[in-house]
Amino acid sequence: MSILSKVKEAVICLRAGRVTLPYPAQPRPTPPNFRGRPIFDASRCIGCAGCANNCPAREILVVDLCQEVRVLQYLGRRCTYCGRCADVCPEKAITMSRDFETATDHVADLGQRLELFMSTCQRCGRCFTPPSALDQLKLKGYRFDDVAHERWVFHSTAYGRDEPVVEDVEIELD
Amino acid sequence: MIAREKLNLFKQKFGPAINRADLTGENRVFVFVEPSALKSVCEHIFRDLDARYVIGIAVDDRPYSGTFLAAHDFAFDRDNILCSVLAHLPADDPRVDSISGVVPAANWAEREMHDLVGLEVVGHPYPKRLVVPDGWPQGVYPLRKDFAWNQAPEGFDEHQEFKFDEPPPGCTVVPFGPFHPTLDEPAHFRLYVEGEFVRGCEYRGFMVHRGIEKLAESVLGYNDIPVMAERICGICGCVHSVTYVQAVESAAGLRPPPRAEFLRTIMLELERLHSHLLWVGLAGHVLGFDTLFMQCFRIREPVMWIAEKITGNRKTYGLCVVGGVRRDLSSELEVELGQVLDRLETQWRTVLGAVLKDRNIRKRTAGVGVADASLVKETGLVGPLARAAGVAIDCRRDHPYAAYGQLDFDVITAGEGDVWSRLVVRAKEVLESIKIIRQCLAKLEDGPIGLKIEDELPVGRLGLSSVEAPRGEAHHFVITGENNRPRRWRVRAPTYQNLQGVPTMIKDQRLADMTISLASIDPCFSCTDRLETIELATGRARSWSHEELIRLARSRQG
Ligand code: SF4
Ligand code: SF4
Repeated sequence: MSILSKVKEAVICLRAGRVTLPYPAQPRPTPPNFRGRPIFDASRCIGCAGCANNCPAREILVVDLCQEVRVLQYLGRRCTYCGRCADVCPEKAITMSRDFETATDHVADLGQRLELFMSTCQRCGRCFTPPSALDQLKLKGYRFDDVAHERWVFHSTAYGRDEPVVEDVEIELD
Repeated sequence: MIAREKLNLFKQKFGPAINRADLTGENRVFVFVEPSALKSVCEHIFRDLDARYVIGIAVDDRPYSGTFLAAHDFAFDRDNILCSVLAHLPADDPRVDSISGVVPAANWAEREMHDLVGLEVVGHPYPKRLVVPDGWPQGVYPLRKDFAWNQAPEGFDEHQEFKFDEPPPGCTVVPFGPFHPTLDEPAHFRLYVEGEFVRGCEYRGFMVHRGIEKLAESVLGYNDIPVMAERICGICGCVHSVTYVQAVESAAGLRPPPRAEFLRTIMLELERLHSHLLWVGLAGHVLGFDTLFMQCFRIREPVMWIAEKITGNRKTYGLCVVGGVRRDLSSELEVELGQVLDRLETQWRTVLGAVLKDRNIRKRTAGVGVADASLVKETGLVGPLARAAGVAIDCRRDHPYAAYGQLDFDVITAGEGDVWSRLVVRAKEVLESIKIIRQCLAKLEDGPIGLKIEDELPVGRLGLSSVEAPRGEAHHFVITGENNRPRRWRVRAPTYQNLQGVPTMIKDQRLADMTISLASIDPCFSCTDRLETIELATGRARSWSHEELIRLARSRQG
């Protein structure tokens, strides 16, 4: 019976009452294990670049300024908040915060930059123990990502191009 | 073993044409045939053995075997077998006979083989450009290995327009889309209309094709892909990440621990819940019945919240990695999930009690957009679309994956094949999903949630996986490769097949029925086009002119 259906439908609506939340006038807290913006802790980071290698969005760039100083640049502009970086970090230096309200008119606000003082690993230049063989360090040794253009530099021809995207950086060691 | 029997059948019939056959596991068959026999083998499988056509795949295998590969995947739904028929084609002359004449469902797949990999599909009934943009130069094939992922082709013609077919005599053209209020994503239908009635249409889509497959096989790694795969679709993302990891696991011979399989099942069903509730709401909206829309969304919201609590996000669950899942389910959340389901069930039954008897909705949707069982077979339609036509196919039952083999649930069918039947099927499937999650919670045992993978995955293995997405079967084909990433990954979303049924479904219907007919397949254009939202090589922040922006965007075409 259609009339009956309409009555039932009206009752459903009336019983539901008002469900709209007063957001953003009242903040709505996210649940405890929410995956929001990743926060990097410079005091814990050992600069192994595991996060950079395993970030699917290639959001974390690594530049070795010299033997001792490595810069880790998190861009934050196309981060998917997947939390893979926090998963693989051996030092728990990355926390997925509960912060999701990241709208800004200046995208650089979202970035984080870590300057790390490094000593050298005898084996790989830097070190990283991947949780599984699939999370291995893809680019070993020194890294010179293209921070100016905010992109990874592939030192490989596996991608079909004979020449690298940008020229390799000459680094002078004293 | 049924797979072996099937193989013996092929061997008896096609003996010398079969070069090699691999049985990987009990329900995967890979048959390598002579290119000249590909068509007859496919016809035999599709017609005589009554298998369902899934998808066709072209692979540039030149760096490894010196040849191109053409493959057609079929599903034997009654025997729980996924079968792939492959042929090596010479590198200098990659020709293959078109099977679309005998297997109409292969139409798009074969056009895509040509567009992306450059196979010459001989004898295709409608060899028109499907995937690459209008201005894309001839003879440039983006999925070939010698085409770099970030390369922009020479000679891209900005101003080239798509050449549409001539409408049949006596018909007027009514453009529908690319931006239409009832389509939330771009897709263009040119409807041929005679008076009030639609006599045919031409489809032009793939406007958000960004080459996620190319990215996966050249830039990403095995464990990067699940979170990217998830972004193929805004609604059934988890489906794609599960399908991908299952395909890799099947190729590498990995079996995730039971708890991981149950957790995947739970999240897949939660996803189906929210997707079906969303669809019923949107169907109401398209029909102009916004009350239903509001109420569905109200009921759906707690599903999103519980998903957020379990996985850390409402929609992009980030659940899977190869060999397991990333997050466990705590016992408190198990209890809470149970409560959410109880409330959902009560509320949904109330809504169903009203809506399924609502004569207005029924009258508006009965007999509209009919897809009957023969269309389902010919075009390879899947999911609620097939089930509403009385074809009881459901990968959860027919090709059990994750924990579905241990669960008890019904495959809901209806008989009319119209929009109303689809509505009924989806509405009732919500209750089945609730049942499935409850069983999962009861059977969930403690244990590890992921495999410890010590070695790199074997190279050059083939994997297939089918998962029942809310819209039908999602199917992924993977060839494992070097450098910690697959050599080839082919995604077939359910809408890819279902859209091919639309021209028949809307034929001789009223123009006004177009929107609900299209909406009733629950189209997901991004999935079909395999959208990639992540830009890997963004230039420095600056302002872009329109021309530059377009050039920039197109230069990213994989
Ligand atoms: S959350 Fe994901 S996308 Fe964002 S930086 Fe970490 S790994 Fe990259
Ligand atoms: S994985 Fe952790 S320790 Fe290593 S570079 Fe990243 S933040 Fe630092």
